[in-house]
Amino acid sequence: MTQIELDGITKTYGETVALEDVSFEVPRGEFVVILGVSGSGKSTLLRILSGLTEPSAGEAFIEGTKVIEPRPEVAMIFQQHNIIGDLSAYSNALAGGVDRSGFFTSVFQLQDQEEKLRALDALDTVGLLEEAKQKARSMSGGQQQRVGIARALVQQPKVLLADEPVASLDPGSAQDVMRYLRQASEDRNLTTFSSLHQVNTARKFGERFIGLRDGKKVFDGYRDELTIDDVDDIYGDIDTEGMFVTDSGETTNGTGTTTTTTS
Amino acid sequence: MTTENPEGESSEPSSDSVRFKTDKESSSSHDDSDPIRDQFDSIKKMRRRRAVGWLALITFIAFIGLQSASATGLLNPDARIGTFLESLGQFFPVTLHFGIIPFLNLGQYADFIVQMNLLYDPEIGGLIFQWPPSPGDIYAFFFQELGMFQIFGEAGVTLGMGFLGTLLGFPFALIFGTLGSERVTPFPFNFIFRGTMSFIRAIPAIIWTLIFIPFFGLGPTSAAIAIAFDTIGNLGRLFVDELEEIEDGPIEAMQTTGANKPQVVFFGMLSQVKTSFIAWTLYIFEINVRIGVTVGVVGAGGLGYIVVAQQNLLRFTNMMATLIAIFILIISVELFSQRLRSRLRSDEERMGIWELITGFPERMAESALK
Repeated sequence: MTQIELDGITKTYGETVALEDVSFEVPRGEFVVILGVSGSGKSTLLRILSGLTEPSAGEAFIEGTKVIEPRPEVAMIFQQHNIIGDLSAYSNALAGGVDRSGFFTSVFQLQDQEEKLRALDALDTVGLLEEAKQKARSMSGGQQQRVGIARALVQQPKVLLADEPVASLDPGSAQDVMRYLRQASEDRNLTTFSSLHQVNTARKFGERFIGLRDGKKVFDGYRDELTIDDVDDIYGDIDTEGMFVTDSGETTNGTGTTTTTTS
Repeated sequence: MTTENPEGESSEPSSDSVRFKTDKESSSSHDDSDPIRDQFDSIKKMRRRRAVGWLALITFIAFIGLQSASATGLLNPDARIGTFLESLGQFFPVTLHFGIIPFLNLGQYADFIVQMNLLYDPEIGGLIFQWPPSPGDIYAFFFQELGMFQIFGEAGVTLGMGFLGTLLGFPFALIFGTLGSERVTPFPFNFIFRGTMSFIRAIPAIIWTLIFIPFFGLGPTSAAIAIAFDTIGNLGRLFVDELEEIEDGPIEAMQTTGANKPQVVFFGMLSQVKTSFIAWTLYIFEINVRIGVTVGVVGAGGLGYIVVAQQNLLRFTNMMATLIAIFILIISVELFSQRLRSRLRSDEERMGIWELITGFPERMAESALK
């Protein structure tokens, strides 16, 4: 079943064309990685899907409804985490579900127990249950990003968008964050869009790939279709040598089995 | 200082380019020395033009300064140095020890401070030891025997004005400041709130006191309410400015959760400025205690009133004693507020009260050795 549909999305900022006539369809439950260099339109695409940015032309549909403004079914994870530094990891996670409660309920944390357990469950999913009471500001970059994921999960979304979730993290934390992201979207059967710029990480965790170059869609296919030539095409003049690891080198992480569960 | 600056900087590029040139000469030919020369000359010319600009600016400010001096009568002052020195002599009463060595008579200050209960009221707290208090005297017990402000005598009245003013003004400052921000209220409408705050600021606290005197009478009540009004204007303005600085990220993050507008404002915006809002409030509290002194001058009570009363009696020694009391009050408030602010801003583990007290000598020694 088609869950997300983009039809001729174009976005211009004055003279600059950020996205040009991008169309694709994504069925429920796929883990989609958006590839491209900086400025290729990855962030713009995700912002349009989240409803934060309005497209200049074309339409985006999620679950058959046109995307006009941000809504609870679509959660977003940001490169800069954008969590609330002054609050604890738990309070941050709880803030993901504020659309289900009123102003005073959310401000004074008077949500019912089910909601609070949901926040703790989300923190458990990203491996931060122990650190729930810690202030977000005092956490490491990787932990902060996992709090961001937990907040997105408490939102109980159907679609998870992640804009360069690991770009500002060291390789170890990046692996962790991507693993938790992948795990969460599998467990909850979420359709996930993640923009990444490391091809290796992308190949390791991605299921379907959409390549953007100068705002145009240059590749759309599953992991076995993504060849070194396609990567060259997406990254253009940049030397892609060493960026590409073949499947044989990474069969142990079991990503090959996930394609069957999602269809 | 401003004329010195361009010259000091202009010497830097020249020495740099010379060093660069000698490096180059050892490896390559002379033909790339011309663009360096050109660049050097162009920088020199730019520096010279800038120096002329600075000179013109300084001349202009000097002219304006003279104009303002004339407007305030400073150019032709009505100065009486003799009278001034005479009053200074009374400000600082001097006793001759052994008939020769002059000493400042601090005892006279202390006498007045004790006599007028400027810093401490010995009558407060006396009944605390008669535990339990009689049921009929609950009000008296709470507000006279446990009078946290009254125990500081006249200083306590001034402190109380500043504190109550800040406490009453804060929620309104928060509401006006938040709604005055362009990010919360769209452009023309936020000026309803900004305009209100500008209007409040346009009238000094001392005038607000005069306005409230017919309502609450001449006393600390009027002063506290006036200070609360002043707080709305000043603290609200600081809140608006602080909200201009916040990042878009957390706001967008809250929008994507589907939060409603007040929730986006609270979680996305106010949570970013919580610490600085508290710090600004403490800063305004410091200022409000100072304003408490000022409004006392028009008769609202506290230390300010004692100052003006003694001045009217031409008892300058007593006036100076009151000024010392004011100094002690203000310094204590500022020390307290600054320590609290630096504690708020630091991410370190919070110290318990017991550790704060017992660890003090050690920390003091550490600071002294730094």
